[in-house]
Amino acid sequence: MANAQGPSFERFSTSIPTMPSAAALGPMKRTQTPVSTGTSVLGLRYDGGIVLAADTLASYGSLLRYRDCTRLHKVNDNTVIACMGDYADFQYLLSIIEQKAITEDCMDDGFNITARSLHSWLTRVLYNKRCKFDPLWTTFLVAGSDMDDDGQKTEFLGYVDKLGTAYKDGIIATGYGSMLATPLMREAVEAKTKDGGQLTEQDAINVINDCMKILYYRDARAHFRYEIAVIPTTGSARIEAPVEVKGDWQVAHLIRGYE
Amino acid sequence: MAMSLMRPGGFSYSELANAGPVQHHFSPYTDNGGSIVAVAGKGFALIASDTRLSTGYSILTRDQPKLYDLNSNTVLGCSGCWCDVLSETRLIEARMKLYKHEHQKEMSPGAVAQMLATILYSRRFFPYYVSNVVAGLDANGQGVVYSYDPVGHCDQNLFHAGGSSGALLQPLLDNQIGLLNMEIKPTEPLTLERAKGIIKDVFISAAERDIYTGDGILLKIITKDGITQESMKLRHD
Amino acid sequence: MKGKNCVAIAADRRFGVQLQTIGTDMDKIFEIGPKLFVGIPGLATDTQTVHERLRFRTNVYELRENRPVTPQVLSAMVTNLLYEHRFGPYFVEPVIAGLDPKTNEPFVCGFDVIGCPCEPEDFIVSGTCEEQLLGMCESLYEPNLEPDQLFETISQALVNACDRDAISGWGAKVYIIESDKVTIRKVRTRMD
Repeated sequence: MANAQGPSFERFSTSIPTMPSAAALGPMKRTQTPVSTGTSVLGLRYDGGIVLAADTLASYGSLLRYRDCTRLHKVNDNTVIACMGDYADFQYLLSIIEQKAITEDCMDDGFNITARSLHSWLTRVLYNKRCKFDPLWTTFLVAGSDMDDDGQKTEFLGYVDKLGTAYKDGIIATGYGSMLATPLMREAVEAKTKDGGQLTEQDAINVINDCMKILYYRDARAHFRYEIAVIPTTGSARIEAPVEVKGDWQVAHLIRGYE
Repeated sequence: MAMSLMRPGGFSYSELANAGPVQHHFSPYTDNGGSIVAVAGKGFALIASDTRLSTGYSILTRDQPKLYDLNSNTVLGCSGCWCDVLSETRLIEARMKLYKHEHQKEMSPGAVAQMLATILYSRRFFPYYVSNVVAGLDANGQGVVYSYDPVGHCDQNLFHAGGSSGALLQPLLDNQIGLLNMEIKPTEPLTLERAKGIIKDVFISAAERDIYTGDGILLKIITKDGITQESMKLRHD
Repeated sequence: MKGKNCVAIAADRRFGVQLQTIGTDMDKIFEIGPKLFVGIPGLATDTQTVHERLRFRTNVYELRENRPVTPQVLSAMVTNLLYEHRFGPYFVEPVIAGLDPKTNEPFVCGFDVIGCPCEPEDFIVSGTCEEQLLGMCESLYEPNLEPDQLFETISQALVNACDRDAISGWGAKVYIIESDKVTIRKVRTRMD
């Protein structure tokens, strides 16, 4: 087998795939590979907030291993994060983030972690892990509110990946979403805001729903069940109950060449 | 693996199908592209960057300038591995604050330049994969530009092009600003307006031929009155 | 580089093995027809081999067909010659510049090592300082230049680009091809 570390059907019977064999340990080897992974997450800024979306699947290679894993997490009333990549690394970071949120809450001073500070914190954690050649194999979107130059609350949507690469933007999609969903979201935003118009919360949700449908059709690691989080700049963030893409495969016979 | 299934390439189809999770290998570096051009003149310094942040064939964002105002007369431009840029610039900001509080004065561009060389060399064996350019006004109010390699070699210039389009733009600056290979040389020194015009032109050229440069530019103008900025659109493809 | 009823082709004169300079009078541009030239930068032995083979093929073509090789025909020949060696290529990236023997239509074309042709409407660059040349040409070039303006443009592009490449330089040779004459000029550059 060329693929010595990765789980395969042959290895199921002989060893636990995620444990490296003693021979593989040798000199300290930290470079890991993702195991149970989530695919694309989407983030879109509308006028007065952010919408995030991710499906509920954690794949084990091509196996649909865990079909009800939420990949969105509400950190506090106005901050939500979404994660693509290794689900275990996500859970590890979540446990730390939850503790941070509790600590903040216990202060009872009316202050909370902001999306911007959490985003910054994640860049440092992920960058430090990358420098140790022991990355947390994840890509995060952080959504919430930010202060603009005039001290007004505005929308915040930020990206951080396993290297610590980070940026802010109004339209962000990770993984296959960056190829399939970004153009759809950009088109929708440009069409709505062309003549000084606004993208409303419902508009944003509609676009995200379209994108999740397209991703379900074309991304082999995507799932039909997905969740949407809405984070208004003023008011309380909510993660909505999972929705399902009603797949319409009538067009499938039009795709030729793979018979 | 049954030999009959083996292909000349050395793997079999069944092996591909059973491979399970794809083996990823980890590289701590990525090239996020971007270009920086800086020009120093009499009484001014200019520095410009494009605003595209990319990885491979994907554009991450079209609106990420790569310039950092370090103080009222120094601007730093960084492009390369973006996570290193973020870390390096934060370290610089912190070190500059320490300097300010210890010495009760702002750092001069020369001091910033030396500090940056030291910071870069401190990571000699795990370098910040960044191309840096510092532009500022020296004690006499003259423009200065410092350019670096990733491990801290520092050079003072009158102009510099760094980043993904560095090789495309540097010879052009040699010719147009350094006046190399020019038969009839202009007599008057470089003006701010001409320098600005050249910078905008070279970015337009770079955007034609370099996929990592485009979307827009941010131009910072450093004079004794402080820092002002201008922006311009570039190709969006 | 294309101009108005003229084309230009230029190359430096250095011959070296990696960083060591061995000769400073090497011609990389060869005459194929009265108004047709090919520049072959790359591994020197392959430069000569490709040139000889092209000479052979163009001679055979002219004897067989009893008409001059057009730039388009030469372009097809180069493509074929290079692609015949798809899995053990000649390490050269040729550039063709010429005028059509009948219509005097300007023509430039460049190739990669396995013969993929690229026929642009303005200019083509190739060799070790390709990036520098690209930046220079993209900024200096404008369409429909007269022969003397074209000479100035291509020379400035080449010389300034070579000055930023450690392994290019040592003088340059510029060919300006017009319908009635070909002007060959040697250009002085910094010699280091």
